[in-house]
Amino acid sequence: MTEKSTQKIPSDKLIQTNPDYNPDVIVETQNLSKIYRDFWGRQKVRALKALDLEVRKGEIFGLLGPNGSGKSTTIKLLLGLLFPTSGRALVFGKDATETTKNERIGYLPEESYLYKFLTAEETMDFYGRLFDMPADVRRQRSDELIRKVGLHWARRRQLKEYSKGMVRRIGLAQALINDPDLVLLDEPTSGLDPLGTREMKDMILELKAQNKTVIMCSHLLADVQDVCDRIAILYQGDLKELGAVNDLLQVSGETSVRARKLPDSAHKEIAEVIARHGGEVLSIENPRTTLEELFLNIVRESEERPGRRAAAAAGEGGTESGR
Amino acid sequence: MVVKDFPDLMRWLFGDSTRTGAFLILLLLILASSLFGLFFGFLVASFRHGPAEAFYTVAKVVAGAIPDWIHISYRRIFAIAGLAIKEAIRRRVILVAFLIFALSLLFGGWFIGGGEHPDRVYINFVMWGTQLLILMLVMLISAFSLPDDIRNKTIYTVSTKPVRISEIVLGRIVGFAILGTGLLAVMGIISLLFVWRGLSHTHQIAVNDGGQVEFQPVDRLATGHRASDNAISGTTTLFDSGHRHYVEVVEDVRGIDDPPPADTESILSQETRGDKIVYQRLQVMHASGHSHNVAVTGKGEAAVYDFSDAKGFFRARKPKYAEMLVFFDRQGEPKREGMSTGDEWTYLGFIDGGITLSRAEYLFNNFSADDFSSTDVLPLELKLGVYRSHKGDINTRIRAGLQIESFTGENETALPRRFRSEVMEFETEEDIIQVKGIPRKIPGQIYGPEGELIESGIYDLFDDFAPNGRLKLTVRCMDQSQYLGMARASVYFRLTDRPYWLNFARGYIGIWMQMMIVICLGVSLSTFLSSPVTMLGTVCAIIFGFFSESIKKLTVPEVSGGGPVESFYRLVTQKNQEEALSRSLSVDAMEQIDKLFISMVGAVTRIVPDFSRLDFSDFLTYGYFVDNDRLAVAFLISFAFCTGLTLMGYFCLKTRELAG
Repeated sequence: MTEKSTQKIPSDKLIQTNPDYNPDVIVETQNLSKIYRDFWGRQKVRALKALDLEVRKGEIFGLLGPNGSGKSTTIKLLLGLLFPTSGRALVFGKDATETTKNERIGYLPEESYLYKFLTAEETMDFYGRLFDMPADVRRQRSDELIRKVGLHWARRRQLKEYSKGMVRRIGLAQALINDPDLVLLDEPTSGLDPLGTREMKDMILELKAQNKTVIMCSHLLADVQDVCDRIAILYQGDLKELGAVNDLLQVSGETSVRARKLPDSAHKEIAEVIARHGGEVLSIENPRTTLEELFLNIVRESEERPGRRAAAAAGEGGTESGR
Repeated sequence: MVVKDFPDLMRWLFGDSTRTGAFLILLLLILASSLFGLFFGFLVASFRHGPAEAFYTVAKVVAGAIPDWIHISYRRIFAIAGLAIKEAIRRRVILVAFLIFALSLLFGGWFIGGGEHPDRVYINFVMWGTQLLILMLVMLISAFSLPDDIRNKTIYTVSTKPVRISEIVLGRIVGFAILGTGLLAVMGIISLLFVWRGLSHTHQIAVNDGGQVEFQPVDRLATGHRASDNAISGTTTLFDSGHRHYVEVVEDVRGIDDPPPADTESILSQETRGDKIVYQRLQVMHASGHSHNVAVTGKGEAAVYDFSDAKGFFRARKPKYAEMLVFFDRQGEPKREGMSTGDEWTYLGFIDGGITLSRAEYLFNNFSADDFSSTDVLPLELKLGVYRSHKGDINTRIRAGLQIESFTGENETALPRRFRSEVMEFETEEDIIQVKGIPRKIPGQIYGPEGELIESGIYDLFDDFAPNGRLKLTVRCMDQSQYLGMARASVYFRLTDRPYWLNFARGYIGIWMQMMIVICLGVSLSTFLSSPVTMLGTVCAIIFGFFSESIKKLTVPEVSGGGPVESFYRLVTQKNQEEALSRSLSVDAMEQIDKLFISMVGAVTRIVPDFSRLDFSDFLTYGYFVDNDRLAVAFLISFAFCTGLTLMGYFCLKTRELAG
């Protein structure tokens, strides 16, 4: 990335005034609650109950939970799209309702709510202007991001002609136009094909590599598991679990061994060793690849060798990838 | 044309002894609306969070408003404005509006034209058409834009950028304003061309069965039209564009050394009689509000008569109105208003005819020769009403008299010599604008401070009569038992005409100001209401704004028949408006409900902008110039409304959750 495109918008608005601000803590919620009310002020839903969270710099934080658990509400509260009923949300040490914090935030909403009558280029230019970016920086950044999300060929088409996956991609591009320090992704992989999902996950990991902080919410558990460092699990507005993914997923009391080129005769021997040590063999078998992995291999192979793919070869490919 | 207000910017703004200035009223309004806003905000917040938290919330919103307006970014505002413009263009809103406009001109052209004043019909048509279309268009786009953004959640991607609420509101207003201005400018230019093209025409002279032009003596013209004093014969043109003109042959007698008449092309013949030259020339009489020049080439039967394009349609008359009009009754007592000849028309005040002291005095200020292009003869235009108290020939004109005098204002040193002119008699009738040339040198008398006659002679209108810039013009009705009606705008000196295009542009600036208020109202209401409700509110405001005067009349306490409930009751029980209702609890209740309703309607008419003050279509229709003060007052009214509405929209959007 060039020096010009990465330059931050100089602004006195970013001056920190919070004396308790810890630069390592990007997001902090304290007793954050949200109650949705009707027109007459009567309580409709208690969407979030006293949420205490801390998201640190450079981590990928996942918000997990079934529909209606309060994930999107939390994100909207952090963005200032909703006002908390009680408690507070701080982003970069500032109140979430403050506009200036948005200088350093990128947000990809659940369904890429973009203006369908704009082309990709115009979309990027429009959002660049909202960051008060000069024209040359806007142009360069927008060009770079459109290429990055693989939409260069469709840059002059209006978004109403885009497929859902393409809209998602341009949505991500607009979220990154300001080279944000904090990226909030609401269901980032929804609507994407497996290839797109993988690319999205790669991009999230790339953001982490650039020391950016990512908060994503999803109910696609595999995606969260693949990319998140820490997760919070919400259920009906309550925080049920919070911690590092590795810690939470570790199964204590079980051991797994992975080996290559082991003949079937060795299986019996291994079982005997385990029994000798008082252990219980649960299973000894060839591991399976994931369907995602299989699909991606086929697509990659097809890109390299266009034409009809033989069924036998496909079967072989599957076996290969399983080895 | 009815002109009821004669705005003087400074007096309007800062007031005088008789009225409060608009500036002070604005300050009071700002104070009152701020207090109301704070109280209302506090009330709503208390309801939601309790009084202690409410105080903090309101303070936070107010404190946050300052940086929101100080740190606005023009790049962001124009980005949002550009988006609003692109949206309207790509959703083909503009195309549809323009198509409707083009179609209305296309088919409208079939039905208008002809009649007594085709220019008025044309101008009225394009002004009202443009006004209606533009206001409807901006109302629609401003009412739907923000609610659509919130409903489609596209606002999420905007408000999560460093965009201030002030920029969201202003951006939309600026966008729609640019769009509307562009469209209005295009419509204005097309309208002007349409009017010009529609009114442009020429004529051919009428010929007899033998194909010859036949001039008939004046007394044989069965026209009903008055011929000029020096007309000797005449004929007509052929019927074209819904009218025909009478063409007179007039005799112009001039000295041998005098220059010939200015329009030499219209001269038929010239003949020397003694020491005079008599020119016989053609003169095309006015019809349908215009005339033509005529050029004659050739002589006798071989003569060709060539009529020019219509002239006199496109005028922007700049009147010099009197500062004050004072009526005097039969006994010579000054009155604020003239006699009333009935309720149906209260605009004009009437004076008695015959030998009474009844008269109307027009007091002119700042009367200076600099305002006139030619000061040899000053054009005085009069449009007087006539009320006939006995039967007679309706075509008989009423005799009236004009007299000019010097005068001094209150608290001014009296002039040592007062000039009074002879009475200048003239005839008048209803519904015509008469142009009377007042020569600069006029016969009159000089009176001393005690009213004693000093001398008689011919004196200068500016140097002798109005050395202090003040002039009194007295109008009297000379015919017994007849009445002359007039208002302040009925009599004026016509100053140098202003360019027509400038006046046309000013007329469209009036529409532009209305458009701006509708945009701000639409955007402001749409920050907290849904699109249909916003539209309804805006339509109501426009209707109240345009007809506020008529609606205000319904809210005066003395209106007979009561309010809506009482009127309905009278309708059902078949009681007429004047019949007293027998007192009962239900009648009392009915009256109280009506009172409440009427006071609410009255309050609304005071809150909504008075669109009639921004509507200059009558000025264009009747060919009067929209003066600077009137334009400035209209602009300030619009600006104040737009600012207030923008702030209201800002606070409403600021205090609502965008992801509700």
